[in-house]
Amino acid sequence: MILVIAETKASGGLNPASLEAVAAAQQLGAGPVGAVLLGGDASAVAALTASPIERLYHGQHPSLATYSPDVWVQALVQIYEQAQPTLILLAHTYQARDFAPQLATRLGGALISDVTGMKSSTVFIRPMYQGKLAAEVSFRPDIPGVVTVQIGAFNHASLRRDAAPAPVTVVNVTPDAPRLQAGEIFTEAKQAIDLSQAPVIVAVGRGIKDPKNLDMARQLADAMGAELAASRPICDNGWLPMDRQVGSSGQTVAPKLYLAVGISGAIQHLVGMRGARTVVAINKDPDAPIFEIADYGVVGDLFEVVPALIAALQSPPGAPPD
Amino acid sequence: MKILVCLKQVPGKDAPLRIDASQRAIRDDVPYEINEPDLFALEAALRLKEAHVKDGGEPGGEPESEIVALTVGPARASQALREALAKGADRAIHVEGAEAPQLDAYAVAEAITRAIAGERYDLILTGLQADDDGFGQTGVIVAELLGAPHATIIMEVVPVAGRALGVEADACRIRAKRELEGGRFQWVEMPTPAVLAIQSGIGKLRYATLMGIKQAKNKPLRQTTLEELGVRPSLNRQVIERLYLPPKRQGGELLTGTATEQAVQLAARIRRAIPR
Amino acid sequence: MTRPQLEAEVVIVGAGPAGLACALHLARLLAARQLPADNIFLLEKARALGAHQLSGAVMDPRGLAELEPEFATDAALGAVPVSEDALLLMAAGRAARSPITPPPLHNHGNSIVALSRLAQWLGAKVEAAGVNIFTAVAGRELLFEGAHLTGLRTDDKGIGRDGQPKSNFEPGTDIRAPIVVLAEGPRGSLTRELTSHLGLRGENPQVYSLGVKEIWELPAGRFPTGRVLHTLGWPLAPHLYGGGWIYGLDHNQVSIGLMTGLESIDPATDPHDLFQQFKTHPWMRRLLAGGEMLKFGAKTTPMGGWHAIPPTAGDGWLVIGDAAGFVNSQRLKGIHLAIKSGMLAAESIFGTITGEGRLQDYPDRIAASWIREELWPVRNFHQGFAGGLVPGLMHAGLQMLTGGRGLHARYQAQPGHERMLPIAQLGPAPPRTAADNVLTFDKVTDVFHSGTRHEEDQPNHLLIADTDICNGRCVREFGNPCQFFCPAQVYEMVCGDDGAPRLHLNPSNCVHCKTCDIMDPYQIITWVPPEGGGGPNYTG
Repeated sequence: MILVIAETKASGGLNPASLEAVAAAQQLGAGPVGAVLLGGDASAVAALTASPIERLYHGQHPSLATYSPDVWVQALVQIYEQAQPTLILLAHTYQARDFAPQLATRLGGALISDVTGMKSSTVFIRPMYQGKLAAEVSFRPDIPGVVTVQIGAFNHASLRRDAAPAPVTVVNVTPDAPRLQAGEIFTEAKQAIDLSQAPVIVAVGRGIKDPKNLDMARQLADAMGAELAASRPICDNGWLPMDRQVGSSGQTVAPKLYLAVGISGAIQHLVGMRGARTVVAINKDPDAPIFEIADYGVVGDLFEVVPALIAALQSPPGAPPD
Repeated sequence: MKILVCLKQVPGKDAPLRIDASQRAIRDDVPYEINEPDLFALEAALRLKEAHVKDGGEPGGEPESEIVALTVGPARASQALREALAKGADRAIHVEGAEAPQLDAYAVAEAITRAIAGERYDLILTGLQADDDGFGQTGVIVAELLGAPHATIIMEVVPVAGRALGVEADACRIRAKRELEGGRFQWVEMPTPAVLAIQSGIGKLRYATLMGIKQAKNKPLRQTTLEELGVRPSLNRQVIERLYLPPKRQGGELLTGTATEQAVQLAARIRRAIPR
Repeated sequence: MTRPQLEAEVVIVGAGPAGLACALHLARLLAARQLPADNIFLLEKARALGAHQLSGAVMDPRGLAELEPEFATDAALGAVPVSEDALLLMAAGRAARSPITPPPLHNHGNSIVALSRLAQWLGAKVEAAGVNIFTAVAGRELLFEGAHLTGLRTDDKGIGRDGQPKSNFEPGTDIRAPIVVLAEGPRGSLTRELTSHLGLRGENPQVYSLGVKEIWELPAGRFPTGRVLHTLGWPLAPHLYGGGWIYGLDHNQVSIGLMTGLESIDPATDPHDLFQQFKTHPWMRRLLAGGEMLKFGAKTTPMGGWHAIPPTAGDGWLVIGDAAGFVNSQRLKGIHLAIKSGMLAAESIFGTITGEGRLQDYPDRIAASWIREELWPVRNFHQGFAGGLVPGLMHAGLQMLTGGRGLHARYQAQPGHERMLPIAQLGPAPPRTAADNVLTFDKVTDVFHSGTRHEEDQPNHLLIADTDICNGRCVREFGNPCQFFCPAQVYEMVCGDDGAPRLHLNPSNCVHCKTCDIMDPYQIITWVPPEGGGGPNYTG
């Protein structure tokens, strides 16, 4: 069995990335898929048992109310011994990065992290050198393997379960008291914007011509739920702060969608965003290098296209297509 | 307090990368520099040292803290240690081996723990991950091998009246500010010895002063080898079968029509790409 | 503000072949008398030794052999012996090998070296000898007491674009030293300050060429290791001094480049573009087909010869290497002269320290050495080309028969920037070569391949005395040649809000070649080092 470690959201319920991990486990085609949830609420349990897994192992213990790596690893080791999976899989979340290497080492195995695909059931593909290169990686034979999958690399939209919800096995784990004492979770306005975590980005370049046109760009970003970013000349001019700069002298980003508005696509900029899953470009120069890497391109005047795009995004999706 | 900072070299940021004959590694005829996240780990250690208060004395008074910089790397990696010493580390350890670039996170963690066997550190700091292999695991594995508590993605904040930034050093416990997804944070507290993986961007990195560069030459540098420690690529628990250039992105679809028509088509594709 | 203060016996600015040779030779001379070397400071503005070192480069072994006799067999240096050389004469669409290779371009016995690797190789020895090397440290300002040079000040670190200190601000250090050696390379910024402060000048003004270079990896066997080719003619117009090169390195790599004299009458002369054109010649196309461009670089070289060398020694200072102008423009060789000039400087310094000599005997040492022996007969070579290629060759021939005299004892020379004609007298600027990103590249892409990086949040390091001239008078008079002569697109003319042209700077593209400081027609641009550690990276 491939055992997927699920994660809950701080606000309750299942983190959808865990379903992506289930989809990835299915894609491996290396046997039935099971899941393990530590603590969590009824809604998380329901979401998991409604997915195509064979069984849910539900770890329970008072100290599972708060995450700490000590407790998680001990609990998971206990469940591992019970479930005896051939492979452990989970989403590459901040939490996973915190405990998965420890779990793998404790089990005498290894963690292959940030996987974006599989070549076979034993060979995994992951990015290296900040996405410039890719590697096919496998485990040394006969050691326990843990794999984290890159968020967004696997799609859970087509997961379906025909039968009744999966059975649940409650495991009363017995971890020691955690050495880590965790305080309250709180939000804070980050002093610097971390574009590397933004799932959607609208970036503006010289084509925007004037800082007053940034309002239009902001409206577009809002309509898309995107962060606003820029190529170097915009930040050089002081029109946007330097922490919004994408490129070799700015941030490297890998969003699901990158919309480049009025950006020509000089290589210094491209190296900062080539990890984007989908690239869209609006530029009036048909020869702009950005079109060579854009999945969708619009050759046109951004001062006409962008307002029309904002309007199209703001109207209900049921509006007449194409 | 005694702080170990683990750092390593990675290829320069925009260096052209070519795959070598084995197809499992890059050609090493590129410029190297210290992995930027590791520089933040060093910066965190230096700030701790500066802010450490001994018996209620003034910050900047006789420091009790010792910062040791360690690297596992080939001969060229000594340059990274020199830079760390120039910035204020007190001594350095070089675990040298030509095969170092072939080691995985587990083998490197073994090399580190074997190199420091017999020494007791209060705190071990690493960068969050390396810009080359991007494993992000070495610090956590070191913690596991040492049986020490750990925390990752540690932020630091502006110091408050003489106390250390974000990591308050006390005789045997430390507090660290952990970053979570979505702009949320959490303070955690743990006993030492402990391992922390430091997040980038905690503040500005300091420059080495001329005096620092000059003094670096005379600071102790202990040399050992992977061979002496019994660490070799056969210790790896994962294997790179093939390293390759991902297929080049191809230009896709150019949308046609009037601006409004293009916008409508684009909106549809955007919605498909980012389901909300 | 209190600045850190340091004292040294000798401070050398610039870890190129001259500075390194000076440091190494001096350390050895001191060691032979049981004197320590750790009061010698060597400053290098690049982040790592060799990062800002760029040349073709074919080196005459004479200088290095005196410093390090075993260099040729040391694999760590990787010097490639020249196996064959030839001169290729190029016209549009055609190329022919010159039946005779002019003797100055004979390279038998010479070695192809990577200058950055030479710097790293020598640097390791300099450090082992006990000298203090400071990288990422730029010499920013000289410290004078009247005419007496007492030391220098290094660059402040951590100043923002707005000129305000950032949270990691570190003030530069004042280094007091009785002896300062300027080895900054062509058009050094401290050298410029020195000559200006003390009113120093050579008999002729110094003139320069800009070399633009790429390293390519070619299919195996395409161009043999050790083969040296120079080219003359296309795409350089007859009035334009310069030529191309192709050197066979190991690992199937070639160094290719074009040198363009920085003295063109045409203000729209664009050396980077001329190099791109050069690659489109059918001969070059065939050479590069199927290859891949790995790296780019650009650097100026002084070409003025013996008469352009300013005073090289004074009260507390020496100027050596390219900073002084020790380059043989006929043979296109300067590395060996730089090394020798550094060694002779070490001897003068050693004499000063032990009381057996004086710093000011340096010019006498130069005059008595093979530096003068080599440079004297070619003292008028470059200046003979003022009228163009054909007159230049005639003058060169005549000079060879007359021990360098030619028609005049000293040929007159003009600074390069003064030769520019107003655009009113010329036709429109020629169109630039369109980049195809396989064979030809635009400036911004090439800059990316030079590994150039600077701290973005720092003050602009191209000090322009009066930008109104750029936006007004220069537009009309010369058409803003900076946008053409800079190989890194630091200078751009954009349309301002009111439709008027306005100069826009991209200082972080700068590859530190100094062309702008040399060539701006009003001499209002002063290049100062950006924050230490920034710049190109020619290592690896």
